[in-house]
Amino acid sequence: MVSQQIVNGLMLGSIYMLVAVAFTLAIGVLNFLNFSIPGLFMLGGMAAYGGVKMGLHWSLAFAGALALAGLVSLAVERLAYRPMRGGDPEVPLVSSLGFLVLLENLMLIRFGSDQQAFPALLADTNLRVGGLVIGMAQLASLALSIALVIWLSWFLSATNTGRRVRTVAESGETAVLLGIDMSSLVPRLFIGSALLAATAGILFAVNYQQVSPFMGEGVGFKGVAAMIVGGMGSIWGAVLGGLLIGMVEVLSISLIGSNVVNITVYGLLLLILILRPQGLMGRPPSREKL
Amino acid sequence: MSGYLTGVLVTLSFNVIAAYAVYLPMAAGQLNLGIAGFMAIGAYLGAFLTNELSWPIWAAVPVSAGLAGTVGLLIGLPVLRTHGIYLAMATFALGQVISATFLNLEVVGGAAGYPVAAYAPPAVVFAAAAGVFLFMVLLSTTRFALYLTAVKSDATVADLLGISVRGIQVAAFTLGAVVAGFGGALYGHHYSFIEAQHFNVMLSVFPVLYVLFGGTQTVLGPLVGALFFTLAPEWLRASAEWRYALFAMFIILFMAARPQGLVTTSMFRLLGRRKAQAPA
Amino acid sequence: MSAALSITSLSKAFAGVRAIDDLSFEVPEGKAVALIGPNGAGKTTVFNLVSGVYPVDQGVILVKGVDVTNMPSRKRISTGVARSFQNIRLMAHLSVLENLLVGQHVRNASLWSLLTPYRLAPNHRWKREALKALAESGLDGYAYDTVGALPYGVRKRIDLVRATLAGASVLMLDEPAAGLNPTETNALREDLRALKSRGLTLLVVEHDMQFVESVCENVVVLNFGQKIAEGPLSVVRQDRLVREAYLGAEEET
Repeated sequence: MVSQQIVNGLMLGSIYMLVAVAFTLAIGVLNFLNFSIPGLFMLGGMAAYGGVKMGLHWSLAFAGALALAGLVSLAVERLAYRPMRGGDPEVPLVSSLGFLVLLENLMLIRFGSDQQAFPALLADTNLRVGGLVIGMAQLASLALSIALVIWLSWFLSATNTGRRVRTVAESGETAVLLGIDMSSLVPRLFIGSALLAATAGILFAVNYQQVSPFMGEGVGFKGVAAMIVGGMGSIWGAVLGGLLIGMVEVLSISLIGSNVVNITVYGLLLLILILRPQGLMGRPPSREKL
Repeated sequence: MSGYLTGVLVTLSFNVIAAYAVYLPMAAGQLNLGIAGFMAIGAYLGAFLTNELSWPIWAAVPVSAGLAGTVGLLIGLPVLRTHGIYLAMATFALGQVISATFLNLEVVGGAAGYPVAAYAPPAVVFAAAAGVFLFMVLLSTTRFALYLTAVKSDATVADLLGISVRGIQVAAFTLGAVVAGFGGALYGHHYSFIEAQHFNVMLSVFPVLYVLFGGTQTVLGPLVGALFFTLAPEWLRASAEWRYALFAMFIILFMAARPQGLVTTSMFRLLGRRKAQAPA
Repeated sequence: MSAALSITSLSKAFAGVRAIDDLSFEVPEGKAVALIGPNGAGKTTVFNLVSGVYPVDQGVILVKGVDVTNMPSRKRISTGVARSFQNIRLMAHLSVLENLLVGQHVRNASLWSLLTPYRLAPNHRWKREALKALAESGLDGYAYDTVGALPYGVRKRIDLVRATLAGASVLMLDEPAAGLNPTETNALREDLRALKSRGLTLLVVEHDMQFVESVCENVVVLNFGQKIAEGPLSVVRQDRLVREAYLGAEEET
């Protein structure tokens, strides 16, 4: 049934959307394709699982997972981003990939490589609307994702910190000239981006009731695809891209089969990159000056 | 030679070939995150030619490499209009699409994988890796190699000096695809089995790590990087569980301390100057 | 045809603002002409239009009689026009020698040249030629240094050597003396005189009027993209428009 699939696609898309926004904060503002984000997504899910498993209340487990992701992200800033500012853009990308591999293997050592079942927090309370089945957990996470993005968008446009972030995004040099303290702003951006990714990881765990050390790769890479399809550096582009990718994935599974997901999702990305590299909602790059 | 040592050296050979497939485009400033896709093309076509058409390996491997290069050329033309992260993402998407296509191609086994009948012994693999290395060293003594760096460092000026920037970029990308396809075709014939799942993101990403770790400034960098990445985990085998975690930690700390990679031109330049200043 | 570079009714606008407005002038074969004018008058834009960095809106550019107006930027250097850059555009990670080898490209553009393993030959003619050009400017001591690590004045002069190695007969130099100390300026003056004696044609953007006077026969004065005067510097200096637009502005700052 297609309308049910659309609902499912929206749910999955809302996870991609948060990951895409996390990527877009790093890339739009700092020009850093931060491949530790899939790792932070996984860390959110796995650490929450570990906490619940240890007998913590879910709220404590979630808070702990978020805090852990924030701390790791500070380490990424310190070790992957800061030493390489102004160098070749590939280098921080490699170090951040190093973090992804590190986080995956640490979780592997702690929990093993198998899928783990994440306990259901909201007992099977499904909403039935005209033949559609919507899980409460799904609904809650969709609402939370959208609320987060709206809040972030407001924060960037209406607060002083938000305006500073946008100045840095416009031009790092101008920001320094205006006396913006990059050394305090940049770590905060990394924390913000990590919190978004880890939240997405927790929502994924709650929704799909499974976690694994490698859950970040598939979702994380589709998050990157969502960001680019929507337009790098644009929050609403990330939202649009996330929902679109989620929809394409769910519809291609139900209409064709699960083996074609990578063809349709990444084919869409490739097509966008060739036809409209700046993405659906992005601005074209400016011309170089001699 | 013990079976263990042979196994490690074979892995090393494939890693060296993969590293040079990434190195060529990277020297021209292109981050290719889809090398696994070109390896898949080489592997599947090579296996198809020997399995179904009974070609000999020595003919099937080069032809497969050529086809991987042709695909690289055809796709490189539109994709290389993008730059930087956009290009990296386009190659990333490309790699995913290609391996997913083979996953759905029933002629070559689909998701079940594809056994390869013809066998390439270790000696052939070693010779192939050595051949790729020597070819790269020879290439590094030409203007072509010089222009790769020139295009990377200032494309506008390279253009004004009359260099076809696009031509150089497409050539580097295509040659990288040829080398990847070559490695892929050989891979299938050595391990006697290929499956689409093998050609995943990490297979594309690890050679990039080798190259950046070894350093992109000289032709030796990829070799050193591949050597290190192949051998270091073997030494860490004692702590089997921790070895990848330790290894990742090491990479992070190393790149923070030496972002330009292990082997740099300034090392060689010092030597070169000494040679030049020695009494003739 | 005696003009090495001929510009006729050239116009270029950026976002509606006229950067170059109906500009015409010629640089005779073997002569040196300076393009002067206040900041933002459009001097560098002329270079960018001639070398093809920007497309032309209107007008015609001839290099030694060949119409280059709509030629792709990459092909223009083979008509004989090369340039240097205001903010030195050498490839910072390459050595001086390698930068010069890149500069020779247009005279060695065949596939065969591209794939010759010249570095295996200890004394290849390309290297000899580049080292000789360096030696003529007294810069041969820097041949194996990485460009990024060299002092400004040295890089500036290497930029000039690279432009000459393209084998061009018309050189456009964008503020060649800017930022040089008096010794380096004298060396540069000698370099340029040597080029002229070899028959090269120069078009120079320069603020140092003493330098212009000692190298160039003629000046073209630009203001707001228009030519306001042309002739020997001593004559142009007396021009009322020029004094108001340019020399006046100079005295104020």
